Amino acid sequence: MSNRAALLEALRARALRIRRDTWRALHAAGSGHMGGSLSAADLLAALYFHYLRLRPDEPDWPERDRFVLSKGHANAALGAVLAQAGFVEDRFVDSFYAYESPFGMHPDIKVPGVEMCTGALGHGLSIGLGMALGARLREQDWRTVVMLGDGELQEGSNWEAAMAAAHLAPLRLTAILDYNKVQQSGHVAEMLGLEPLADKWRAFGWSVRDCDGHDMGAIVDALDALPAAPDGPALLIAHTVKGKGARFAEDTYLWHNNAVSEEVYEKALAELGGSAE
Amino acid sequence: MSQPRQDNGAAPAWVKAAADQSRLAFGLAVTELGKRDERVVAVSADTLDLIGLRGFIEHAPARVIDVGIAEQNAMGVAAGLATTGMRPFVCGYAPFITARSMEQIRNEVAYADQRVVIGAAASGVSLAVSGGTHHALEDLALMRSLPNMTVIVPADAHEAWHATLATDAIEGPVYLRLGGRVPERAVMPTDGPFRLGRATRLADGADVTVIACGALVAPALDAAAALAIQGIGARVLNMSTVKPLDEEAILAAAEETRGIVTAEEHHLTGGLGGAVAELLAVRRPTPMRMVGMPDEFACVGPTDRIRARYGMSAQHIADACLELTG
Repeated sequence: MSNRAALLEALRARALRIRRDTWRALHAAGSGHMGGSLSAADLLAALYFHYLRLRPDEPDWPERDRFVLSKGHANAALGAVLAQAGFVEDRFVDSFYAYESPFGMHPDIKVPGVEMCTGALGHGLSIGLGMALGARLREQDWRTVVMLGDGELQEGSNWEAAMAAAHLAPLRLTAILDYNKVQQSGHVAEMLGLEPLADKWRAFGWSVRDCDGHDMGAIVDALDALPAAPDGPALLIAHTVKGKGARFAEDTYLWHNNAVSEEVYEKALAELGGSAE
Repeated sequence: MSQPRQDNGAAPAWVKAAADQSRLAFGLAVTELGKRDERVVAVSADTLDLIGLRGFIEHAPARVIDVGIAEQNAMGVAAGLATTGMRPFVCGYAPFITARSMEQIRNEVAYADQRVVIGAAASGVSLAVSGGTHHALEDLALMRSLPNMTVIVPADAHEAWHATLATDAIEGPVYLRLGGRVPERAVMPTDGPFRLGRATRLADGADVTVIACGALVAPALDAAAALAIQGIGARVLNMSTVKPLDEEAILAAAEETRGIVTAEEHHLTGGLGGAVAELLAVRRPTPMRMVGMPDEFACVGPTDRIRARYGMSAQHIADACLELTG
């Protein structure tokens, strides 16, 4: 097997485990945001186990790349990937929504590996821009990656940040859009459509590239193609499926955030090719 | 007891440059901190001259980041910068940098407990003829309600300079409420020091206490002088740190004088008067009067006339004191 084939296979295994642990966290909590966590799983696997330069045993390593989960309601998947990467212990996954747990519905900066409290939508890109500016002012070469949700692009603050990032470039700043096309109350196109989305970002001064957000080869290629040196800001529009990996939950707002019974949990794991045991 | 000193031409450069404008003293102090520490960075929302940041730009252009008229982004950028070890000072108009970016302040500044200093110029009714859209009369209520937030209201340019320098030692977020282009009479010494969380006693008196902040400290002193002629002794406390409150000074005033009048250029709900009342209601119920903006929006007009019309003048403070001592 070629190095690339081996890499992709390893990343797919990582993504599968993120999905399984996402369901595990939601099951422990009794409910949660499965839709937007599962759509982001392949992207998170490629980021944490291929692209981002991190030291899980030294989470505050000053030169680390910065990752901001602006769509903070996908925190179950973030917790799953942080546990898998070794920032937190595996049992952290089971503490989702637990009393006094730092692993609540949304990311908390107190958790090792979490760079900012997010989840109120439309905040992450400004925060990431600040981090990228910090790198430049401190003459460091860390990269900042912000994962955006599609629904949150309806918040105007994103566009303030998008305009400012292009104006203040060159920077090492990338945004990845988990474009799963579904938000809390329905399909994005029906609620408040975003298209033509790539054109909007280009008009704001960003370079834009599309990829299939569940095709690991395409994700890796897109990440590897990001500028190595400070440049204009880049957006990767990753086309994804809400609830990916659990057919009953795919492409529907009904599984944006829902209860997770034993039955649902077993069904979800079975679809991923395993069981709770 | 502190009294303003005569400068006799020997005043430091910042005194001359800031004159009677706390917003400019803040900008100069940020510039001074920026010269001492390369981590200091100003994030401005099209407020370079409102705050007086041209000197900082001259010194270190890369460390003055103006994001345009976009307060939400300014606050998020500042929080992001703070996580990297930079020391951001966000500069904006008080009515906009608070209400417009309140969620960013709450989440990534206060909740995430980042070291971000917010310099909010043109507070109160200093943007007088701009009308109610541009008055900031609820900002103290907003900022005071946030955990981790320190809230400072300098009484004049002198105190603004020292308070801004003093933020260097504060680990968490800070809200600094500054004046506008309206002249601010000097009431504090040029040489400081600023003592965080400590009221400054500017006048002594055994009958009644006026606890004031910001633009109403000078009228409070005028009121005390007028009351003295009538044989009434008014203690005047400059409560420039609204949070954390100097509880000791307030409780002492409650014990040692017959009542307390609070005075601020802010709505009567949620500001300094509210903070003092919350403390006294629980710890030592005391007769109080509160001088400030009533529950309405101010009309257009010169700042001094608005202050007088809505009950925020020296006369109103003196009358409130007489109610308590009469």
